[in-house]
Amino acid sequence: MVKINYKKCGYCGACVGVCEQLAINLIEHIIEIDTEKCNNCNMCVIVCPLNALEGE
Amino acid sequence: MMRELNDIYDVVVVGAGPGGCMASYASAKNGAKTLLIEKSQEIGEPVRCAEAIPSIEEFGIEPKPEFVRNIIKGGILFSPSGKKVIVTQDKAQGYVVERKIFDKYLAIRAAKAGSKVVVKTTAIGLEKDGDYWNVIVEFLGEEYCIKTKIVIAADGVESNIAEYAGLKAKKKPLEVCSCAEYEMANVRLLDKNMMEFYFGNEISPGGYVWIFPKGDTANVGLGVRDRKKKAIDYLEDFIENGMAKDRLKEATPIEFKVGGAPVSGPIEKTYTDGVLVVGDAAGQISPLTGGGIYLAMDCGLIAGEVASKAIKMNDWSEKILKEYEDRWKEKHYEYLMNHLKYRKILEKMSDDELDALAEALGESLDGVDLKKFVKRIITKKPSLLKYFKDLL
Repeated sequence: MVKINYKKCGYCGACVGVCEQLAINLIEHIIEIDTEKCNNCNMCVIVCPLNALEGE
Repeated sequence: MMRELNDIYDVVVVGAGPGGCMASYASAKNGAKTLLIEKSQEIGEPVRCAEAIPSIEEFGIEPKPEFVRNIIKGGILFSPSGKKVIVTQDKAQGYVVERKIFDKYLAIRAAKAGSKVVVKTTAIGLEKDGDYWNVIVEFLGEEYCIKTKIVIAADGVESNIAEYAGLKAKKKPLEVCSCAEYEMANVRLLDKNMMEFYFGNEISPGGYVWIFPKGDTANVGLGVRDRKKKAIDYLEDFIENGMAKDRLKEATPIEFKVGGAPVSGPIEKTYTDGVLVVGDAAGQISPLTGGGIYLAMDCGLIAGEVASKAIKMNDWSEKILKEYEDRWKEKHYEYLMNHLKYRKILEKMSDDELDALAEALGESLDGVDLKKFVKRIITKKPSLLKYFKDLL
């Protein structure tokens, strides 16, 4: 499961745009990852401009 | 609750960026009952963009001082070793705007044309309901179901809405340019009306660094496509050690912006029964420059026109809505695909080759069309021809 560091997140939504599982939602300033849908592909980790996401 | 959430619409537009606002404007103006949904509590915020746009006069929008921060005459491109190439033509000219004010202005313009607008309202789902769509939204922790004939998905790089409707809109991570930017005061500019672009595999692989003058400030940022290092780290490095470091010594940030620019070209299909996809969500953004405001606005306008026409015809099936894709492709597809081609060439070149390219091009790109461009390379740097021969 990908971990979110909310202190580093700039809420840009780039991670949402690469999540083929539709597991990520950006609700205003807060990223939410649906643990049921996330398949740990780590695509979101690569695209994050701020290192706010950490893969397993 | 906002009373707008308790109604049935002809057209619901998700996302109040420039594309969504123009779509709502055109849809409402042509008589369709329209709702524009924005998830932020403030339209225009957070800014994810370098804020440069080409001409907006063709949309009948006056470049008002309330949102225009600067007039741009062109750009100065820097090769990795610092060789300069100047461009002052066509799309290199335009404005740097305050996006927070500009987007709000466009939303007000849509409202004045008759569109309803809701804010702090997030679309979290989409369900087919006979000939209608139910847009599931959340506002202040409550769920609402909004019935509509047509949904225009203008939800940006996130592009969940198109996916809910069964279209393929998600991107690969290395097809999204990861951007970080400081808007800074006290930047010593080379020319207050010229944008600066810096290229190089060391400073910003898969993208470039920009300094866009914005009146009292400048947007200093970059985009990268890279697995090793983050955009923010490249940016701090450029400010500290980059080619413009002496002119950034006194600079200090007044805003921080991040974003993802989908630079893989347009998505495969931008329409289906009762759904149109617009702007970044549709990949309507230059794969070369990452510029997308103008494209989103123009395609949004077309989407709003086609949607309202479909409502008048009482047929919003994909057969009718296909007109949207036909029209935007007719105007912009070749441009987008050419820019994708150019980007793919540039990203293959080493820093030495980029320097050689800048040398071959000479000081100015003005008046240089593709033929002249390739001719300069053939005569001055034939070793680079392998990259460009297919363009002829």
